Amino acid sequence: MKVLKFNAIWCSACLVMKKVFKHVENMHPELKFINYDYDMDEDLVEKYNIGTTIPVLIFLDENDQEVTRIVGEKSYDEIEEIIASISKEG
Amino acid sequence: MKKKLLYIFIIFCFLFIPQLVNAQEEVNLYLFHSKDCMHCQSEREWLASIKEEYQYLNIYEYEVTRSEENSALLQKVKKQLSSTTKYVPFTVIGETYFVGWNENNKNKILEKIENYNYEQRDIVNEVLNGIEGEPIVKQDNEEQEGVSTFTIPLLGNIDAKKVSLPLVAAIIGFIDGFNPCAMWVLIFLISMLMGMKNKKRMWTLGLTFLCSSAMVYLLFMLAWLNIAISLNQIVWVRVLVAIVALIGAFLNLKSFYKSVKQKDSGCEVVDNNKRKKLMNRIKQFTSEKSFWLSILGVVALAFSVNIIELACSAGLPLIFTQILALNNLNWLAYFIYLIIYIAFFLLDDIIVFVVAMKTLELTGISTKYTKYSHLIGGLIMLLIGILMIFKPEWIMFNF
Repeated sequence: MKVLKFNAIWCSACLVMKKVFKHVENMHPELKFINYDYDMDEDLVEKYNIGTTIPVLIFLDENDQEVTRIVGEKSYDEIEEIIASISKEG
Repeated sequence: MKKKLLYIFIIFCFLFIPQLVNAQEEVNLYLFHSKDCMHCQSEREWLASIKEEYQYLNIYEYEVTRSEENSALLQKVKKQLSSTTKYVPFTVIGETYFVGWNENNKNKILEKIENYNYEQRDIVNEVLNGIEGEPIVKQDNEEQEGVSTFTIPLLGNIDAKKVSLPLVAAIIGFIDGFNPCAMWVLIFLISMLMGMKNKKRMWTLGLTFLCSSAMVYLLFMLAWLNIAISLNQIVWVRVLVAIVALIGAFLNLKSFYKSVKQKDSGCEVVDNNKRKKLMNRIKQFTSEKSFWLSILGVVALAFSVNIIELACSAGLPLIFTQILALNNLNWLAYFIYLIIYIAFFLLDDIIVFVVAMKTLELTGISTKYTKYSHLIGGLIMLLIGILMIFKPEWIMFNF
């Protein structure tokens, strides 16, 4: 499963979430995290309809179909819960 | 013998009759007060309560904040009494005046009424009748303030009036600082600065941005303070600021409600074009070879960003300067309170900047706090707005 991360260099919440994302990445080597910048990757921002609140995590299945997304600041436990629910569904 | 008794009687009459007449003569007490001042209301109530006991006492009251005529009379009386005080209640009996209201003044006023010297001049009466006598030599009871001390364990006696304003400056400044409108610019600027190899230049440009931001705020607040002081006596100006506070309260509480409902708190992306323009400008002057052109660029950036920030603050600096104006302070005190406000306003920016410079790693401040700053800011504005209209003496800290 792929996880697209949309951040911005100027975004305070993205900086706050940096450590949480790192921890999630370490705990889930099966997930492939890909970083995108809100200002540099405009076409993808448009394609995935990122909206006006960042950071955004988009979970894609093996067919590159969006399974779910996480918007804004979340705790490690909240993200874990979402990942667990996706795994169950899968 | 009869003649002797007659002489004694005549001497007796001369000695005591004038005093008996004096005891029935009247004493005029003039009270200059403001309807917004709690101490004034206390003194008025007390005077009304002693009126029956001292029937020879005439009490004349002049409200000075709503009547230009009374205010002008007070100025003339103060001139004649050589007083420079700005405070009310201002009580005058004969040639003596009392500033403020406390137990000490109450006793002094009673003493003055009971032992009134009828040979002295009635200064207010003279002014009212257009008699221009010699001004009275300055008295030593100038600038007496109300009793507003309370005791806190370990800290001892605290003067509420002295503590309240710095505390209000710190709280409102701190809440104002959590306004997220310009934080993204600072973070972007720091990220650009971190790419530099010259540490001295990094610190200088960053500090220039913070100092310039402080300067914009200081200039705006000083300008408004000046206007607020000159229009202090006009009630509708205060009501207008109160309305701004209530609108600000509504906007802040609405933002809080929205963020609670949304559940997703993160960075709100500002207008794409404006953001990109600003980012390009920052990139341009941080990569500028000339040090002074970089500095100029940072100063210009701070000015333009903080003007937006001022509009974004929904009136907190405006409200704070109005509170200062209501408190009738000297310019040094005004300046110190503005500096306290700005220092707390910039506190989060200073922390982000210093941590980034020291650790060479950018740290953000959670947007979750912004939500609560909207709530606290909204409640503060609501409270101040209501007080400005109905109980302005409370924000003058006349406890």
